[in-house]
Amino acid sequence: MSLLGDTSTLFLREMLIFKKNLRVNLIRSLIFPIIFILLLGSFGSTPKNVPIAVVNYDNGASALNFTNLLQSGSSVAIVSQTTQQEAATLLSEGKIAAIVVIPSGFSSGMDRNIYVYLDNSQPESSEVAASTVDSTAAQTGATAVASEVSGGGRSLVSVVSNYVYGASSNYLSFVVGGILVMVASFGAVFTSGFTLLSDRELGNLKAFLTTPINKFSILLSKIAYGTFQSILSAYIGLAIGLLYGATIAAGILGFLELIWIVFLVGLGFSALAIALAARMKQLQTYALVAQTLTLPLSFLAGAFVPVTLLPSFLQPVVAVNPLYYAVNAVRDIMIKGSLPISLLVSTTLILLSFTGVMIILAFFLFNKSSKEL
Amino acid sequence: MGDHAIEIQNLVKRFDKLTAVNDLNLNIKKGEIFGLLGPNGAGKSTTINMILGLIDPTSGRVLVNGIDMQKEPAKARNEMGIVTQETVVESELTAEQNLMIFGKLYHIPQSELKKDINFALDLADLTNFRHAYAGTFSGGMKRRLETAKSLMHAPKVLLLDEPTTGLDIQNRTKIWNLLRKINREQNITILLTTQYLEESDQLCNRIGIIDHGKLIALGTPSELRQKIGMSNIIEVSADKDDLQKVATIFKRAGLEPQVLTNKVTAPGGNNATEKIEKLIKAITANKIKISNISMHEPTIDDVFLKLTGSEVRDTEGDFRSARGNMMVGRR
Repeated sequence: MSLLGDTSTLFLREMLIFKKNLRVNLIRSLIFPIIFILLLGSFGSTPKNVPIAVVNYDNGASALNFTNLLQSGSSVAIVSQTTQQEAATLLSEGKIAAIVVIPSGFSSGMDRNIYVYLDNSQPESSEVAASTVDSTAAQTGATAVASEVSGGGRSLVSVVSNYVYGASSNYLSFVVGGILVMVASFGAVFTSGFTLLSDRELGNLKAFLTTPINKFSILLSKIAYGTFQSILSAYIGLAIGLLYGATIAAGILGFLELIWIVFLVGLGFSALAIALAARMKQLQTYALVAQTLTLPLSFLAGAFVPVTLLPSFLQPVVAVNPLYYAVNAVRDIMIKGSLPISLLVSTTLILLSFTGVMIILAFFLFNKSSKEL
Repeated sequence: MGDHAIEIQNLVKRFDKLTAVNDLNLNIKKGEIFGLLGPNGAGKSTTINMILGLIDPTSGRVLVNGIDMQKEPAKARNEMGIVTQETVVESELTAEQNLMIFGKLYHIPQSELKKDINFALDLADLTNFRHAYAGTFSGGMKRRLETAKSLMHAPKVLLLDEPTTGLDIQNRTKIWNLLRKINREQNITILLTTQYLEESDQLCNRIGIIDHGKLIALGTPSELRQKIGMSNIIEVSADKDDLQKVATIFKRAGLEPQVLTNKVTAPGGNNATEKIEKLIKAITANKIKISNISMHEPTIDDVFLKLTGSEVRDTEGDFRSARGNMMVGRR
């Protein structure tokens, strides 16, 4: 009879089984995002009261004003006002993350440069110090010249600093955005494909195939269930991320857009999972293929590292990776603060066509395999 | 469409070079209980899978109640209830949920579903276990639930693939009684395959034996027994190394022996008792140690043995047997 009717019956079955194993399913949905957000998110949590030393060669009012301003927030704490040599020692001992040098001509206006020496071995702390100095300098009309000290500071080497994210960006939001997309794709691949294969192994699939249903409803119900399970994980992940401190720059509308994009990722990757599992017989094979496919796809989407840092030979893979477009949209929403409507439409179209292609492929492969048995 | 519940016409299935089913013709009459026997690899499973519409025949066709399985699979499947080899009840659903899902898959209208579920629970003798998860059931309970599940949509034909494999005698008898009951009371035609030959002897009106993809015998159990002569069967069990010697002695006594893994058997003919005496003398004269000598009435086992030259084949080689041998926890 109707494809949709059969699909909803089979989806009902999945949900009854889901309900029976509710606790296990919820724990599973929780664990993955929690681990990733705590693990990766902690790298990016902004340190407070970063210890720095100030070497003041100028004793004028402007220099005093500058140091006061520097301390006014709770980002950095000046632990020592000392000579450059002593400060260098403190830096090499890891007691401070940065040295701020105010040159002697600062107050008189002869040298408006502020020299910052950053301890590269403490990237989070030195980044906070650098951005604080930057903003303080901007307020006083001075220019901050950053130098990074590598290897614990034995030699003071000047390096042009290359910040991946603007000083105001929130690393946690960056990571949570990537994790959302990754959780949605993983959840999908590890739900729908697995249940299809276990149904095949347990003989359930054969039992369904001997009923007068439209056999594609089996696939559609699996895709629906995979989508459900994956977006559940991802939404739980989003909630955890927001509680943990991530923000959605685009506000309520952004939240809705985020939910939509994550849904599309879950849908597309459930369809991919079913296409993969359509002809497979063994769970182990499937697990292997699914893992080797999804993890690299997350990395090649810029979920954790910006894709611009990837080598050029991988760029074509990035361009055809649907996750890349999803991650991009999520970043726009969470960090940049708005997702242009054209980008929302194009991302939607890309993910939907990916889903469509996968469903057709799954139907084709499943049709073949069910006739061979 | 006539008197046949299932018609198998010139059915052929080839896998690459192997011909699993070779021009098979077989009609199952309406209202009978028919047993399909065959050693492993004889093409039995392939035939069943084609009747179920799970695989397409290379040529030929299968009609269920006159409906072509190839052309109108959904309609043909509605005529048929199926109990597959693997007991497929869902452990993570209750008895009632198992029935409800399958009722819906067979498109039983919502208004009748509740009544049909109650009927099936009653038939399976599981009314008290309605809300219990099927995973907690014994093998026999699962098999009964499965059988009742396959009858919910009131099919005309019930197909059971080895319905009692792995069950103890008590549960096997329960299933037999259930099958007899539905055959008698609801006039449902039953086609079953089995490894237990005495099962087909007791349960079936007619038996078909297939080997090498062809039907090699067809008839009632007693007709088949007559085929090998009504004479009693002589059986001598002995050490493996001595079996050939025993067989030679059989031949000298004018018998046609068949050597099996641990015994030699032969139809005894008219004067079976005299022949046994001869055999015992010859065996003692040759100082062969035997563990048993006996005589019994022919069973379907003996028919099977005579026709296929083997016991239910002990080699594992059921061609593309769909039986999943790995039980994997779900979710």
